[in-house]
Amino acid sequence: MAEVFAAYPGLVRSSVQAALAYRGRMVLWVVTGFFPLLLMAVWLTVVAESGPPAGWDAGDFLAYYVAAAVLWHLSGQHVVWEWDGDMRSGDLSARLLRPVHPFHQYAAGDVGHRLVMLSLLGPALLAAVLLVPGLGYDVGPLRLALVALAVVLAYALSLLMASTVALLGFWTTQTTNVWMLWWGLGSFTSGWVAPLELLPAWLQELAVVLPFRSTLGFPVELVTGRLDAAQTATGFAVGVAWAGVFAALYVVGWRRGVRRYQAVAG
Amino acid sequence: MGRVVVAGVVEVEGLVKHFRVHERQAGLRASLRSVVRRSYREVRAVEDVSFTLAAGEVVGFLGPNGAGKTTTLKCLSGLLHPTAGTVRVLGHEPHRREAAYLRRIAMVMGQRNSLFWDLPALDAFEVHRTVYRVPGALYREQLDEVVDLLELEPLLAKQVRVLSLGERMRCELAASLLHRPEVLFLDEPTLGLDVNAQAALRGFLRDYNTRHGATILLTSHYMGDVTALASRVLVIDAGTLRFDGDLAALVAEHAPHRRVRVSLREVVAPEVLARYGDVVEVDGAVATLRVARSDTAAVATRLLSELPVEDVSIEDPPVEDVIRAVFARG
Repeated sequence: MAEVFAAYPGLVRSSVQAALAYRGRMVLWVVTGFFPLLLMAVWLTVVAESGPPAGWDAGDFLAYYVAAAVLWHLSGQHVVWEWDGDMRSGDLSARLLRPVHPFHQYAAGDVGHRLVMLSLLGPALLAAVLLVPGLGYDVGPLRLALVALAVVLAYALSLLMASTVALLGFWTTQTTNVWMLWWGLGSFTSGWVAPLELLPAWLQELAVVLPFRSTLGFPVELVTGRLDAAQTATGFAVGVAWAGVFAALYVVGWRRGVRRYQAVAG
Repeated sequence: MGRVVVAGVVEVEGLVKHFRVHERQAGLRASLRSVVRRSYREVRAVEDVSFTLAAGEVVGFLGPNGAGKTTTLKCLSGLLHPTAGTVRVLGHEPHRREAAYLRRIAMVMGQRNSLFWDLPALDAFEVHRTVYRVPGALYREQLDEVVDLLELEPLLAKQVRVLSLGERMRCELAASLLHRPEVLFLDEPTLGLDVNAQAALRGFLRDYNTRHGATILLTSHYMGDVTALASRVLVIDAGTLRFDGDLAALVAEHAPHRRVRVSLREVVAPEVLARYGDVVEVDGAVATLRVARSDTAAVATRLLSELPVEDVSIEDPPVEDVIRAVFARG
């Protein structure tokens, strides 16, 4: 395994270099990075017109969605499109011939892109935290460390989930549509559509045991100070368990799927 | 570096590869029908193919389109799982794609980009070094060698996506050799290249084989690639191996005649020339005769003594014709 991770710096570096090759794309990334703030604008309107829903005031929504914007960018879902394109075109062949499993090639490539994106978005969000009145996070060193762990877990789970779905490409050409369906359904319990506290109780209970919250809602709730010790422990346990489930599914899916690969087009 | 010693570098026994492909007729009606009812066809790409390659051999893999050449190469490189049969390369089962195996081989596919599209070639090489864990000294040595022999210096700083096909192919080949593979699978390595670039690539491959004793199996539609590099050929058609042996033996077996080209000091009547062999062509005082392989020496002697000959040359028919003859006989 150490050999695999030794390849990461080179692959991540190449991905950063590739990301930096297109300036227009970088600008678009920054713009799309603010999408979660559109949802925030909706809630701020609700607060202004009808008062704080379930006790959430404007400051709460600001803190929630600025953090959500970071997590929105720490999604590994982009690998689904990479896998899909490569399987259809036969470019997966080149990746299969390298002595590093394709999962790690796609993952390292995605890490590079995330780093570039966050290096652009990070300063903007930091400036927002410092300058926007009412926006702030009351986090001590311990919680900060837990948040960092939760963010890493969120990204890892997101990557594993997306990579597992991507393997459906060995059986069907509809991988990206399957992913969109999966993501769309999941967005109700991830904290993307709305903070989970604002959803019906049954959906909140369901969200706690499904994998989606671990990829967005859990770290955001953690950094905004909405979880006690027991809820934090449960959040980590659920996230780690789902990471294990998807890792196992990935291994099985890979073993069965790669046998079907036809290495089309040359 | 510990290396596994094996009898044959490449050992293929009873290789079979079948595919199941979806197919439908053209047109909207067929499209709609295929939504409800799919039809599949089994493609028998490779049928019971067996051969062995020794270390350092350069072997040409010949056959018409769809014959099974590329499929076989993909099975050898580990891209495809064989349907049946066994394949061992350098002591490994390729389809397991162990890192230890992939570091010892390279596959170059003429139509496929294995470099990093958005990076300059030199950056792509650097990534290759990391992924293949090539030691620094070996990397620099190998890089210098490929840059020099393939004349890559002006290309190194260019993004791969802006390179011409020929330039990209040279970079592809260079990248594939940076980890100094012991076995090279080349699928149409000179596809789309101009004559000069083809010659450069052939020269480079010959040199690489000589310097490092690499085993090379290459497919090509350009017979020049095969005649320039390989002394042994495998001929495959409809997934079945038709011939495995020396190129010279292939010509001898499937071309029982040779061409005797005779330049005369004066025009000689075709009826006279017909006494020496089948007259293929007469162009003024130059005639081409088709003569049984076993009779060529005697015919040449007779021509020299009986006719006003200025020059005689004896040639094998073009290899393309020989290959056509192999397939025509079935």
